[in-house]
Amino acid sequence: MNELRDLLGDLVADVDAVFLFSPNASFFEEFDDVDEEIVVVGPENTLDAEPFVELPIDFTDLEGRLRFGIEGALEQGIVDEGDEVLCVTEVLDGSENTIVRVQTNDFSPSGVYDMFVNSRADASVVRDVFEVAIELGKKGQKGKPVGALFVVGDAGKVMNKSRPLSYNPFEKSHVHVGDPIVNVMLKEFSRLDGAFVISDAGKIVSAYRYLEPSAEGVDIPKGLGARHMAAGAVTRDTMATAIVLSESDGLVRAFKGGELVLEIDPEEY
Amino acid sequence: MQFGFDWATVIRRVFSPQGTFVFSLVVLAVGIVLGYLVWRSSRRFMRELGVPEAVEGTPFERTARGLGTSTVGIVSNLAALFIYITTVTAVLNIAQLTDPELYWARFTSFLPDLFIALFAVIIGLIAGDKAKLIVSERLRSVKMPEATVLPELVKYSIFYLAVLIALGQLGVETLALLILLGAYAFGLVFVCGLALKDILQAGAAGLYLLLTEPYSIGDEIVIGDQSGIVQEVDILVTRIESDGEEYIIPNKRVFNTGIVRVRG
Repeated sequence: MNELRDLLGDLVADVDAVFLFSPNASFFEEFDDVDEEIVVVGPENTLDAEPFVELPIDFTDLEGRLRFGIEGALEQGIVDEGDEVLCVTEVLDGSENTIVRVQTNDFSPSGVYDMFVNSRADASVVRDVFEVAIELGKKGQKGKPVGALFVVGDAGKVMNKSRPLSYNPFEKSHVHVGDPIVNVMLKEFSRLDGAFVISDAGKIVSAYRYLEPSAEGVDIPKGLGARHMAAGAVTRDTMATAIVLSESDGLVRAFKGGELVLEIDPEEY
Repeated sequence: MQFGFDWATVIRRVFSPQGTFVFSLVVLAVGIVLGYLVWRSSRRFMRELGVPEAVEGTPFERTARGLGTSTVGIVSNLAALFIYITTVTAVLNIAQLTDPELYWARFTSFLPDLFIALFAVIIGLIAGDKAKLIVSERLRSVKMPEATVLPELVKYSIFYLAVLIALGQLGVETLALLILLGAYAFGLVFVCGLALKDILQAGAAGLYLLLTEPYSIGDEIVIGDQSGIVQEVDILVTRIESDGEEYIIPNKRVFNTGIVRVRG
């Protein structure tokens, strides 16, 4: 028993900051008299905690969650590179049962925090598009898997680097992602190939767009198809973020600046 | 007022006391039949006019339905009630069962006013809700929180007017309320005209731009001295971008200077 306690002692010794992932109020209060910096990470700042890192989506996988929380804290300057941080979070059963100790430069930053917070489009718009893509990935079109490509932000430039494949069903409409009708509409319109273009403020500008950026020198993981290549290329040529639902493996991937920054499995949400 | 009074005395002079009584009974019977006929024909008339369809879905109609009736029912009942009350007062007047006080005559002449007042309130309630529906329907495609205030404003303005007309009919001193209405209208014009002048001009222009979309996101346009690619059009401003510089242009200016669309 002592060995176990020592192990835990070693794990928590000399950390610079403690990250609490979505703590409840009583659990958070227990940390009131801890000397180390307490960072709260969660979808909403219900505890009025300071400092706070906002999670835009409910990461179910541990790594994505930790990565986002730590990158967010680094970006905000709450912790420095090389700090030892302790993450307290839940896995599987919903209560705080996991303690992870990492050094903030143990991993190379993926830019996932940067994608949500520093993209041209509003963070909430990026999140809404993610949710739509995840929803679409879960249900598919009449049970069959579908693919979809959403280009979010910098819509003017994206429109100029693309051409229509068909009449734009969203012309003269004022539909925004996050409107209740959108899920159904996008599901129907994802039947035809082509990208959805969404403006900074979340307006759906067009569907059925054929993207024509120059794909030269775009480096995306091998094995991904034309849709992902187009997504990578368009984000390199413009300030947009691209969110892709793969038809073949059903994963949702996000590209920014020509690089893959996030990969999640819709089935886990 | 004078007419109703004279009429009753003339009848009393022409007939014997018994005759007057019989006559008043006849008047009563005619009044009942007439009331029923008015009730029926007004219902049919309103049905044919398509009133039930027109008022469908308004809160007034819903409340009426909740009470087991409908707008048409209420209005026709009111019409019938009006006839009944008129008949009864006329009969009482003729038969002189009560003292021929001036009160009754006054009551008889007051009745139409009351009826019109009630009518004005009902029409006002329905027209207000309808106007709100129409305005919000028109603005539905414009998903801006600012746009939701407008229908409410229209609704309550119409309610206020209806109440004002009703009170005026009843002879209530409405001068204070009229002044309030004047102040309200003046305030509206004043605030809109002065304080929100620029915003409103931009908003009006923006509404036009959103509804007709002379240019849309991705078009290259020139507005005044600025040219670039449209990135966003919202109700107050248009954002255009060129070479990393983003111009945020009030929609008012779009109208003042006109738009040049670059087609290439």
